[in-house]
Parts: sequence; structure tokens; C-alpha cells
Amino acid sequence: MKALIIDDEDLARAVVREHLQAHPDVEVAAECANGFEALKAVALHEPDLIFLDIQMPKLDGFEVLELLEAEGKRPAVVFVTAYDQHALRAFEAQAVDYLLKPFSKERFDGALAKARALHTAQPAALPPPASELAAAARQGRPLERIVVKDGPKVTVVHLDRLDWVQAQDDYVLLRTEGKSLLKQQTLAHLESQLDSSRFIRIHRSYILNLDRLVRIEQDSKEHRDAILRDGTRLPVSRAGYQRLRELWEGDSL
Amino acid sequence: MHPLLASRARLGAYLLGWAPIALLLAGIARSQGWSWAESGALAFPLCLLAAFLFLSAWFLCRALPLGPTLKGLGPHGAAWGTAALLMGGLWAGLAWVLARLLAWFPGLEALPHRVNIALPVLTGLGILLYLASVALSYLMLAQDRASEAERKGAELQLLAQESELKALRAQLNPHFLFNSLNSLSALTAVDPARAREMCLLLSDFLRRSLGLGERRLVALREELDLARAYLAIEQIRFGKRLQLAWAVDPATEPALLPTLLLQPLVENAIKHGIAALPEGGTLSLAADVVEGHVILRVENPMDAEAPAPQGLGLGLRQVRQRLLGRFGSRARFETTALDGIHRVTLVFPLEIES
Repeated sequence: MKALIIDDEDLARAVVREHLQAHPDVEVAAECANGFEALKAVALHEPDLIFLDIQMPKLDGFEVLELLEAEGKRPAVVFVTAYDQHALRAFEAQAVDYLLKPFSKERFDGALAKARALHTAQPAALPPPASELAAAARQGRPLERIVVKDGPKVTVVHLDRLDWVQAQDDYVLLRTEGKSLLKQQTLAHLESQLDSSRFIRIHRSYILNLDRLVRIEQDSKEHRDAILRDGTRLPVSRAGYQRLRELWEGDSL
Repeated sequence: MHPLLASRARLGAYLLGWAPIALLLAGIARSQGWSWAESGALAFPLCLLAAFLFLSAWFLCRALPLGPTLKGLGPHGAAWGTAALLMGGLWAGLAWVLARLLAWFPGLEALPHRVNIALPVLTGLGILLYLASVALSYLMLAQDRASEAERKGAELQLLAQESELKALRAQLNPHFLFNSLNSLSALTAVDPARAREMCLLLSDFLRRSLGLGERRLVALREELDLARAYLAIEQIRFGKRLQLAWAVDPATEPALLPTLLLQPLVENAIKHGIAALPEGGTLSLAADVVEGHVILRVENPMDAEAPAPQGLGLGLRQVRQRLLGRFGSRARFETTALDGIHRVTLVFPLEIES
């Protein structure tokens, strides 16, 4: 069995490595100090199991997992975290394996045994997708950034910099600072994770960052366009216009 | 808005207060040989007019607040006197007009003549009543000020208690504590000597922060010692990722400041700076004395790709609140984020325990 240890602290990785010494059938293929290293190492080593810290610079544990899933890679995961009440509640609810720092040998061995069982089980026993887990761990707080894998490159889009989103079949096209990024996700799924007071579904195929909106132009009786700061025109459906109006009226109250 | 006009109950009580004055006025008129009808018909409407007319004294009083000393009382007195003369005259004039209107009623034909004779008395009475209104207005203003001060005091106290509580909680940052214990757990196997050192550092940090939590003001020296203990632990956790640049002028060390003001700055620098960067960076802490003021600066590198923070986080807001709560306008709190460096600067007067 091949394993990866992903944690930004040297000593935290050392504890996991030390505990793994008692399990000679588990080979530590690599240790990674951040999410980017982890993505490379997973592609290189195809591990069966990863020990994944949640709080890491640049990409957190949930984002790493989400990007792995997008590649079709689903190693067994043991989350390792020091203190995160929300995440713990989400793990409990979803029956996901985790270790609380610092942990005992018994606790570690138990988590490893569970991960092993999951690894050999049917696909039906797989844990929920990372994005769902991350949403549960956020406890209703909206998303702050989106991670996109574009070939070998990973881009983190902070939502302040997201202009608008367009649905393209099973993908969403994210428009940010003049660039377009494709991510495999449905528009409705993304919409459900965004802050509904900042991002509005103005059309069946479009979500708009309200901050970018300059005005609405009405061309004909039933046809409206949103004009954005950079001059872009996006179609606004009747339902979309209704949503915008509700938001404005709510504001003025 | 005049406070008496703001509530019906107050206005009612105020107008009721004028009823005895109207009775008195009518009694005086009776004693001068006026008929019951003449006395009543003039006294009551006239007093009602006065009641509203003399409310204006409140606005004059608000514009001329009384100081704690007798200084400036001369000009104030002149203003009151002038206003009283004008209002007294105006009131007597209104009596004159009222008398002529009432003369249309049967039995009141003699009123204009009677009022003409009484005009000097009415003017004098008006002046006295207006001056009484001035006194009443100052009383009301003083009461309002007192209750306002009380409300503000209670609010400030609540704020202070709240931030104290938060500060006490913040000193046992669970992330820091559990991650440190995890590092300790790792060290016990690979480097027992270092593990013992970590144990001692942790105890030192906990003891210091427990001790500081009980006090309101401390010398900067103690805050620096706490930060030093904290950063020594974080250096073990983060290894090479955390570099320290320490530049403290010893002259700043006895300076008094509110407890646990530096700690949130240092914790912030780790959390949003070093811990958010894969390669880490240098945390700089500098303290200098310039023209009787301490300038305390904490700097950390930050993730250039992340959006600039919107406003201050709770921790920094409380630091600012507590700093300004203690020193007021003599202190300054600044944060800047430039060229990938986040910097917090505190400036406060150098005050030493006597």
C-alpha cells in the first residue's frame, strides 16, 4: 500500500511517519509540504492512501481533494487537523476518517484500519465528494475562492476577482481578470455555494458578480442586457431581472 | 427638538405647571378690581401663550452652555437679559392684542383699557417668567447631560469588559496549543532534548499569559517577553519557514500599555503571514522611542495573490479599541499592506510606572 503524507509542518509529518513504521506494508511514497506538491506527488506515485492536513498555505486540504477528484483520483483519505470544530462536525456527519493532533498510537492504528477497509470496499462505500465535505465544513458560510485545474496548472480564483460565470454543458466558464477558466461543475452547483447577495443568477446560463454591474439595458419588451464595467453585455432573463429587483428592493427597505 | 415637546406626558406636566401661575395672575387682576370674567378670559389664554413662547429659552440655553466657573457669565447674563426683555415685551404686546380681540365679547368691553394700564406690570411679569424658564432649561440640560454621560460610561465599560474577555480567550488560541502539542509529540521520539525545551517554552508562555491576563496595564518588556516565548514555540513548529528580526530599543521596555496588546499582532502575523506562505518569511518586530512616544511595529510578508484584507479583523479592531481607549488622541493605530508586506504600527506616549 502506497501512502502520501501532506502537511506543511515538518514535525507533523514526522509523527505520521513514525506511526507508520509499525505498519511495514504501508510505504511512504512521498511527503508534501503544500497542496501543489501534493497534486504532483499524487500524479507521480498514484498512492492508495493520503494523510491530509486541512490548514495549509495556498490550497487547503479540501481543495487538494477536490482537485484530485477532478482528475479522477480517489485515494483513501485520513484528514489530520489540530482544531476545527466545523470540519470535525462535518467529518462525523459524513463518517469520514480523521485524526486530531496530537493523536495516540491506538487512534492512529484505528484510522489506518478504517482507511484500509474503505480502500478495498466497493465504490459505493466511497466518501462524499470533497466539495460537499468542504461545504459542510464551512457550515453555511459562503465560498471564498475557487480552485481550477487547467492542464498542469492550478489557479486559485478569489471571488473578489470573479467577474461572471457561464454554463457550458457540464462545465462552468469562469471569467476573471480578462482570463477564462473552465471547471467541471454545473452552474447550479456552483450557484448554491456562492454568496447569494454578491452573485446573482441573471440567466439560465449566467451568474454575475453584482459588483461588476453598471446598468441594465432594455432592448425590446422582453429582452434585457446587463452592461458590465468593462463593457461586456450579458443577457438577463425575466427571472434573472426579477432576482435583481428583489435584491434592490430588499436593499432600499 | 425641545425635550418637552418630544413626549406628550412631559408636555402635559409642563402645561399643568402653568395652571397655578394663570390662577395667580387672575387673582392679581381680581385684586385690581377686574371682574371674574375679565380676569379669567385674559389670564388663561395669556399663560398658555407664555407656556409655548418661553420654551424658546431652552434653545438659548443650549447655545450658551454653562461652564464649571463663573467665567463668561457676563456675556451670558447680557444675552439672557436681552432675551427676557424682548420676550417680556412680546408677551405684553400679545396681551394687548388679546384684550382687543376679547373686547368683542359682551361684558369684556373694558379689557383693552384695563390691559393698557397693566402693561408695565405684565412686561415685568413676562421678564420674570422668562428668566424662570431659563433656569428650568439649564436644569433640564444638566439632567440630559448627566444621563447621557451615564449611558456612555456604561457602554464603554461593557466594551472594555467584552474585549478583555476576548483577549483572555485569545491567549489560549486552540490552534496554536494543539499544533504545539503535536510538535511536542513528534519531538519526543526524534529529539527528546528539543522536546523538553518545547515543554519548558510552552509552560513559560502559558504562565506568562495567565499572569498578564489579570492585569490592566503592563510594561512593554513583559509583552515582549510573552511574544518571545510564543515565537520561540512557533519557530520549532514552522522550522526554517519562520525567521525573526527583532529590533527593540531598551528605552521602550518600561513603557506602560494595555495588557495583551502585542500578542494579537504577533499571532496575526503568524496566521495570515508565515502560515499562509509555503516558503514562510521574516517576522519583524521593532520598538523605538521618538519624541516621547513609543513606536511599535510588527511586519510580516503576506500572500501577494490573495486579495487585500477588507477592513480590520476582530483581533486588530480590539487592539485599536483598547489602545485608543487607554490613550485617546495621544495614540495612533495604523495598518498598511504594501508590496507584499503587512505592517501594523502602534504609536503611544511613553509613560512609565511611577
